[in-house]
Formats: sequence, C-alpha cells, structure tokens
Amino acid sequence: MSTGTARGRHAPAEHLVHPTASRRGTGTLTGAGTAALFILRRNWLRLAIWALVLASIIPVVYDSQQQAFPTQAARDAYAQVANTPAVAAMTGLPYAAGSLGGILVIKIWMTLAVALGFAVVFLVTRNGRADEEAGRTELLRSTALGRHAYPTANYLVAAGLCAVTGLLISLLCLAVALPANGSWVMGASIAGTGLAFIGLGAICGQLASTSRGANSLGVALIGLFYFIRAAADLQADGVDPTALSWFSPVGWAQNMRAFGEDNWWPLLALVGLGLAGCLFALRLESTRDLGAGLLPERRGPAAAGNFTTTALGLALRLQRSSLVGWFIGAAVSGLFFGSVAQAMSSLLDPQNPFARNFVGTGHSMLDGVLGIFVLFNALLAGAFAIQCLGAARSEEEGGRLEQQLAGSLSRGTWLGAHLLIAVLGSGFMLVLGGYLTGAASQGSADPGQLAGAALAFWPAVLSMLGLQLLTFGYLPRSTTAITWAVYGISVMAAMFGGLFSLSEDVIRATPFGAIPRVPAEDFSWTPPAVLLLISLALGAAGMARFNRRDVLTN
Amino acid sequence: MATTIPAIEVSGLTKNYGRTAALTGLDLRVETGQVAGFLGPNGSGKSTTIRILLGLLKADGGEARMLGADPWKDAVALHRRVAYVPGEVNLWPNLTGGQAISILSKLHGQSDERRRAELLERFDLDPTKKARSYSKGNRQKVALVAALSSDAELLLLDEPTSGLDPLMEQVFTSCIREAAAEGRSVLLSSHIFAEVEKLCDTVTIIRDGQTVEAGRLSDLRHLQRTQVSVEISGNPAELAAVPGIEELQLAGATANFSVDPAQLPGVLAALAAHSPRNLVSAPPSLEDLFLRHYSDAPAQPAAARGGER
Repeated sequence: MSTGTARGRHAPAEHLVHPTASRRGTGTLTGAGTAALFILRRNWLRLAIWALVLASIIPVVYDSQQQAFPTQAARDAYAQVANTPAVAAMTGLPYAAGSLGGILVIKIWMTLAVALGFAVVFLVTRNGRADEEAGRTELLRSTALGRHAYPTANYLVAAGLCAVTGLLISLLCLAVALPANGSWVMGASIAGTGLAFIGLGAICGQLASTSRGANSLGVALIGLFYFIRAAADLQADGVDPTALSWFSPVGWAQNMRAFGEDNWWPLLALVGLGLAGCLFALRLESTRDLGAGLLPERRGPAAAGNFTTTALGLALRLQRSSLVGWFIGAAVSGLFFGSVAQAMSSLLDPQNPFARNFVGTGHSMLDGVLGIFVLFNALLAGAFAIQCLGAARSEEEGGRLEQQLAGSLSRGTWLGAHLLIAVLGSGFMLVLGGYLTGAASQGSADPGQLAGAALAFWPAVLSMLGLQLLTFGYLPRSTTAITWAVYGISVMAAMFGGLFSLSEDVIRATPFGAIPRVPAEDFSWTPPAVLLLISLALGAAGMARFNRRDVLTN
Repeated sequence: MATTIPAIEVSGLTKNYGRTAALTGLDLRVETGQVAGFLGPNGSGKSTTIRILLGLLKADGGEARMLGADPWKDAVALHRRVAYVPGEVNLWPNLTGGQAISILSKLHGQSDERRRAELLERFDLDPTKKARSYSKGNRQKVALVAALSSDAELLLLDEPTSGLDPLMEQVFTSCIREAAAEGRSVLLSSHIFAEVEKLCDTVTIIRDGQTVEAGRLSDLRHLQRTQVSVEISGNPAELAAVPGIEELQLAGATANFSVDPAQLPGVLAALAAHSPRNLVSAPPSLEDLFLRHYSDAPAQPAAARGGER
C-alpha cells in the first residue's frame, strides 16, 4: 500500500511537470521536472543508502527476534512483561507483543520512522536552504526556471524517498512471511511519518536563513513530537493510545498500529500535513527575498569572556553542545539499560546459543546482561572520546590552529586542553552511565558496583585516545580514519567476536575485549593496568612528535 | 634608526615539502622600526617563510632569528611580542567576530580595549555577527583588529588586504603608518605595488624560494635604468658612441635606449648636441622591477650563493 502513498504524492506532480509547460511554460513551476532529475542526479547515492539501510534492518531484526522468542509461549511470556514505562516512553505502546510482527514494531518501528524523519529534513535542507545559502539557487533562479519549480522538485524527491523506503519495508515484511495487511501498514506508517516531516522541514527551510538553522529547527521539531508522543504513551492505561498522542504526527503514524488494528485512515492526516506544509512553505517563499529568512539572524556577544579566551575555555566552548548531547545520551541509555535488565534476563533462555554468545558465560543471566550493558556504555564513551579529541585535528585542518599557535599558546597546552576534555569527559560518561544503569534497575544491581565496573573500561577508552594521539603526531592526515577503523574493529571483536567464532585469546587482545565485564566476570587489575601503560606510551610518543612536526592545514 | 638587533634576520633558509623544495636559501632582514615589503609570485615561498618565523613549520636548514630569538624554540615567548594576520583567515563559524577577536588578541600579548573599539569603528566591522556570515574581507578585518589592537613589537602580515575594498585598504594603510610611527616593525607580504610603494622602507623580492633582490626602496629605484626615446635631426646611429647609452635600438630618426640614472646628466648633454626634436623619458618604475623578477625565466639569487637545487 506504500505504492498508494506514492501515487497520492505524485499525482499533483504529473500536472505540474506537464511536458509543454516545462518546455515553454512561464509559470512558477516551469522546469520542475528538469529540476527533479537534477536533484536526483546530485543525491542518488545518498537516497539509495538511506532507503537500503533503513529497509534492510527489517530482516536482521526479524531474524534476531525470531531467535530470541522462538516459540509462541516465549512471545506470550514477553507480552506479559513488555508494557514497561521504559518501552512505552522509548518505542511506544507494545500493543501486539505476542506476535512476531508486533515485536518487530516494538524493536524497530520508532527507530525507522524517526530516522526517515531525519533523512527527509536533512534532504529538504540540503537541496533547499543550503543551496540558497551557498548562492547556487541564485544561479538556478536566473535561468528559465519557475520560482517554485526547484523547491517543489525538492519536496517531490524527498516524497519519493519516503515512498520507496516504505515500499521496501513492506516487501521485506512480506518476504519474511509476516501478515500482509500488517506489512503494508508497517511500510505506509513509516513512509507517512517521513511525508509529514517533509512538510515541516519545508517550513523550517523558509524560517531559518542558514542550513544549520533549518536543520536545527527541523531536528528540534522531530524531538518535540517524539517527546509529545512519549508523554502520551506514558500516560496510557494498558495499550490504548491517549488523546495526547494525536498532537504529534509520530503519534498519528503509531496509531496506524501495524500488525495490530491496521488502521489506514491516520495516513490521510500524515499526507495532509506534508502537503499543507509544502504549500505553506511555497507561500512563505513568495513573500521573502532570495537568501533571506523569516526568523531574524541570531547575534552573539561582541567580545568573549575571560574563560573562553583560554585554551581549555575555547575547547570547551567549541564542544559545548556536543558534550551535552553525549552526556544526555549516556544518561538516557543508562536509565534504559537499567530498566530493562531484569526483564531481559528473565526472558533470555540460558540454553539459547545466540543469547549465550552475546551475554557470555556469566555468573547468572542477570549478571551477563548487566555485563553487556557495561560494555555498551564503554563503547559509547569510546566513541565520544574519539570524536572529542578529533576536534583538535579539525581545528588544525581548518586553519584555526595556526592563528592560535601564532599567538602565545604552546602546542602542549593546546593539545592538552583537548585531551583533558576527552579523558575527563569519557570518565564521567562511564560513571554516569554505569551508575544510572544500576539506579534504574529497581534493586537488581548495585549502582556503585556498576559505576566501578564501567570505570574499569576507562583504560580501554584511553588506549583509543593514545592511538589517536600517536596518529595525530605521525600521520595527521589519516588520524581520524585510522582511529575510527581500529575502534570499529575493536567494537566488532568485543561485541560479536563470539558469534564470528573468534578465539577467546584474540578477543582478549582487543582493548574492549580485554577488560573483565563485571559483574559477569571477576575483576582483575592486570588488563586495565597493561592498557593504561600502553595508552600512556602511545600518547606520549604522539605528543612528542606533534611538538616537532609542521602544522598541517588542508 | 636600526638598532643592533634586527626584528627579523633570516639567511640561507631551506624548507622541503617531501620532494618539493619550497625554500632554497632565502635571505630576509627587517630592521627594527622599519616596514619591510615582502614580494614574490604565487608559490614562491612567502607564506612558508612567515610560517617558519612563527614556529608553525620547522626549517630544514639555514638561520632564522626573530626579535633576537629562535622562532622554533622560543615560539611561545616570542608570540607575546608578535602579531600575525594570515592571507586566508579561518574563524570558528559558530563564534561571533568579537569573540574571535578576544581570543586572538589575548594570544598576541597585551590588548588594548580602547584601541579595539576604535579599530572596530574604523574598519566598520560588526562584532556581534557569527563568523559564519562574514565575507572574506570581514574575516580579514577580524584578524587585523586583533593584531593591531595588541601592543606587538612586530607585525607579520601575509597579504592582509587581499579581501579588503579600496576604502578599507586606505584604513589599513593609515593603521600601518601609525604602527610604524610608534616604532613597531612590520613585515608586509603583498602583491599590490602601490601599497608597497606607499608603506615600505625596504623591499625583499623572492622567487622559487630564494631572494633575488633586496634593499631600500629608494636604492632599488636607482638600480633601474631610465628608458629614453628621442627623435634627432642627425644620424641616430652616432648615439652608440655616447657613454652611458645602452640597449640602443633605432627606428628611422628615433632612437630608444636605456640609461643608468647616474649617467643621465652626461647623456642629456650629449643629446643636446644632436638637436633633439622630441624626447620622452620614462622614470624607473617599481612595477617594472617587480615584473622583471616575477617573469624572468631562471631565478637569479641576489647573493653569490647560487641555487641549492
């Protein structure tokens, strides 16, 4: 039925891009067809990746859920405990937790719908406000292209992405033999969420005068509507939606209830919001100058405070929003892990090889699950640390380091400031995530113990930073690529090494695999101590080299 | 005027980027309190030299001293006494111009609040706008305000006016004059002949990473020969015998030649004897000097050192 969605969206396009109109027309939509082809040519790879990645998650998740809940009895047991506040808040009401389709919706629907929302907001900005900001729209507008042709083509391409993604999702659901009706509603509800956000993204692109502003506004709207529906689902008694859920387009799409009631009519509202948003955006565009926004450009302070002019202060100021984002992420995932730990461990069958591989041969299933959560948390902190220290290379690459070093700032102080934030920030994230996992576990784990277990992974995180410093010193142009590649391999080894039949010795030789996962395993001082020494050696070598090398701008 | 320690003293400087030689024996001297022009075609090594002086790049060979200290080892201490304006100014897109000025001027030693406000006014720069929205010229103004509001003894300016409009160039010129009047030293890398002629006491011209011409601007002017075109009633070929006349070319009654400025009086006296009907004399222009060095095929080092490649 996603095809129905697509037809609904493309119907106006056909008369807009009437062949004669596009060749000799003088209307505001003249040339929209050419513009759409042009946008497709510029974005086809991006579009293909979004559609394929989003859709291909379906069989993967389906497969894992089928292994986790192989029998109807297991699914019925899950349905008894599925409706926790955490599940309601994060992914929605588990209205059909007793069926594989319903479990699929719980596990992946929200992720896909919100991801598609992000995709279309970014896409609409990229081919709208970003082009206008860079002056490319001016060039296009000087040709025989109608005023509304390019934005209309932009919205249509984004709608095409929604339709194709939805269709692929439906077809893949059908392919794994899920019920037909539910499969179509699954694809249509995700596509519908995307369509609604095209309309909202289009309006954002008119209000803000920069692409950053448009994207921030769009992301804020997605967040707002996500939280409105989270609040609505938390209020719900049982699994029936509350009135509040109708105040969010994400709620509308949820209320289509794939593999449950299979409602089609909320799709009308989603498509309607998308259309209305696009039409309103076109109206707004007619009332403003090219390049201008409707929201005033934000000004800032005319001088920097004393702290911002120090190396540490500037590094903190530049990373401010990123730090806040990561810390919130660690806190939310910690709370989530804690709240599901007990339920998850009681559901996992100790004889299930998939579960055993994943959780390890722990003391108990609960300890195993907690151990894997501690590892998750550590991997998150590792990613944060690499991104955080990567800001140093960005400063150098962007030519901003030169001007600071041309002032009375030593290389050591500058790099030290960035390193300090990455080191202390990752330590804080580990303790925060670990403690909150314990605190949210309703007594099944000790917060202090989990904070300590998480902190034991600090040397693993530091070894990533050590490698990053080493490559920053010796191979500054490839430091980012090398560090992320090694991190990726370490993650794969620590998380899935067992599944890939990697030997225990090999896994123990990787940074995140080496640290004992308390409480699933007994703590030992040797691995963290050895990793710490390695980190210090790598880091010292990298810093020494940086003090001797040229500053390399791109 | 010159004290015992020059502001900048560079000799035989070499620098390679992999197999590419960027500097092949560069000499540069800036006396304290002078404004020195630093000229050369694109890619001749001007920015490389300045980056070495700032300790951002490490020289492979040769000597470099700035304010009497080693630019690599004493970088941090030196930079309190130095201010730098790059040709391409990169700022933090999400900070305002004013915040960037605070950060940069704090790093250039002591900064003067009153002077900063006055410079913002003169350069007509709005410090509350995000750097993302600045044009190239406005970004350059940020670096200029930060550098000029400091009390640096030495200003290193790498094509600082490439994005400024003519009005702002005038503001820049007067700012540099004031800096020179305060006794500060300036190294000004530039492509604009008029700017160099207006501002600089000395000029160093480099090519392919080495110095090809250096000296006081007035002296360099004298090095150039005056071009003379004269129409005489007698046989112009007789002029070949006149001492001081060189590169003689004849076209009918007209003779074109060049004269060393020192020999001009004697040549003019000799010309008078040939009853000239028309005489055009072109004074030596700096532009000719620059263009000659910019476009000549092989680089001719000023010193007898010879190329190292």
